[in-house]
Amino acid sequence: MKNNLFIILILIISVSGLPFLLSGFGVDLATEIYIMAIFAMSLGLLMGFAGMVSLGHAAFFAIGAYTVAILGQFINNVYILILSAIIIAGLIALLTGSLFIRTSNFYFLMITLAFGQLLYALAWQLENWTGGADGMRVSATLDFGFGEIASPLAIYYLMGIAFIFVYILLKLFVNSPAGRIIKGIMENPSRMAALGYEVRVYKLLVYSLAGALAGFAGSLYGYFNMFVSPDLTYWKFSGEVMIMVIFGGVGTLIGPVLGAGLFIILQNFISSYTERWQLILGAILVLLVLVGKGGIIHWFGYFKEKFIIRKGTKNVETSKPIEEEREVIT
Amino acid sequence: MSIYIVQLLTGVAYGMLYFMIAAGLTIILGVMNVVNLAHGAFFLLGTYFAFTFMSLHLNFWLALLLAVIVTAILGIIIEKLLINKLYGKELEQVLLTFGLTFVIADCAKWIWGTEMQTIAVPELLNSSITIGEMVFPAYRLFVVLVGCILAVILWYLESRTRVGAIIRAGVDDRAMVAALGINVRLVFTGVFAFGAGLAGLSGVLGGPLIGMYTGMDSDILVTSLIVVVIGGLGSWKGSFVGAILIGLIETLGKIWFPSLSMLIVFLLMVVVLMIRPQGLYGKVVSQ
Repeated sequence: MKNNLFIILILIISVSGLPFLLSGFGVDLATEIYIMAIFAMSLGLLMGFAGMVSLGHAAFFAIGAYTVAILGQFINNVYILILSAIIIAGLIALLTGSLFIRTSNFYFLMITLAFGQLLYALAWQLENWTGGADGMRVSATLDFGFGEIASPLAIYYLMGIAFIFVYILLKLFVNSPAGRIIKGIMENPSRMAALGYEVRVYKLLVYSLAGALAGFAGSLYGYFNMFVSPDLTYWKFSGEVMIMVIFGGVGTLIGPVLGAGLFIILQNFISSYTERWQLILGAILVLLVLVGKGGIIHWFGYFKEKFIIRKGTKNVETSKPIEEEREVIT
Repeated sequence: MSIYIVQLLTGVAYGMLYFMIAAGLTIILGVMNVVNLAHGAFFLLGTYFAFTFMSLHLNFWLALLLAVIVTAILGIIIEKLLINKLYGKELEQVLLTFGLTFVIADCAKWIWGTEMQTIAVPELLNSSITIGEMVFPAYRLFVVLVGCILAVILWYLESRTRVGAIIRAGVDDRAMVAALGINVRLVFTGVFAFGAGLAGLSGVLGGPLIGMYTGMDSDILVTSLIVVVIGGLGSWKGSFVGAILIGLIETLGKIWFPSLSMLIVFLLMVVVLMIRPQGLYGKVVSQ
């Protein structure tokens, strides 16, 4: 717990302090990172704590973003819009999840991929509602009842607060009894079933929660980007988020956050030099997988492990959870 | 009425293309337990290779043969060099193939540009057969014929040869096959290369029908994944039936509900999953 408080403290300090160090562009980038971090954490929850590898998670992000875009034409109330984005994404996750979780492993991956592509096709084809391939502008304004939030810095702090809020929420969730049961189901579903837990109910719970969170991230993105397009539900976008999670470290919450940050910074950095960002991204993923040392957060673990062993302290226990977390992707 | 019969042919022709690519996908999944997300990229490469060979003034048939061989060799290289390194770690292998889709698609964009192109229908088949008032393009009939011949060959391989027996055994119980002294890694390489070659074949044959454009690898991958889910894991028969079903539904769906064809395909998958979670011809695998 002490460790958790420490991480949260660091997050709060960096969120509040960063704008003093960054340029205008940097603040924008950091804002995007917070939104993507929420999105990546939702997938990280699914992959790292429930062992459900989805390649269609962007579907819920897009649902959230399109909810803000489409409903925002009629109702300009930030509370209603964000709440309905969360609820709609969560409900659709519940509905589709009740079917998807009947399948296991790679079937789940293939079906979620197909679902994401279905929404992609629909976003293209239902032009009257979604604007088709051209996408649509978000006309809703970010007003919580005390004036419109329009300055980049204000938006930055809003997204930063949302990000920390979600982080704490998820931290509490994974450490709650339900969170532990879900992790238990990931590690050994048949044992948990034998112990009398409803495996499907818990899987559905975590899938819906992840969907709702992705919807939340999507709604924030809608406000931030002021524009939505079918690309938000394209399977390669789902894949990019998955890369963020793997990049940062599966099986932790802070891993996807780091992954999202590094991914977006790299993307911006490399794209400014070459058009071949996709090629480099793919190569990075291939390398990362081949090396097989997990994500960034696990590298920290390795250093720590080495450090502790060299100092000869008794603490072998600390290296254990890291090993276990790596198991997730093996 | 006659327009629908002609459209049926188109649907079946598309179905055959899906069958060729899905057959490789399903067998790779069945034997290696890897969802090869780069399979759509092999399809794309098949088309582009054939396009390149044809622009070197080779005729269609030679280009077809070479493109299939080159794609299969690429499959061998990728399997030996990358996928084999992660032997036994299936999720990582899937992620690896996913990384490869980025690499291959971007390389293709780099080399061949983003312009939409098509492969010309070969001279021999550039005609149509007229029955009554219905006009059937010969090339589509040819694609259907190739698909059927392939289905027969696959059936023969699967049920009458030693290789087929090993592969069937591999789908059922990988560890047992290895324990019986069969070189599983060699089988994996072979299966992967075979699948890649089939995807390449599908790509070349699809060239005159679908054309070639950036992003086609994703489109075809998703469709063939749905075929695999509907047909069942590791089953050629399932892929055959599933692919024709999808081809027909997609083509007819485009006529009746142009904006919802993808939704109908997806709903079919949902219905199949609800009734038979293991797919039409899939075996129940305990996992």
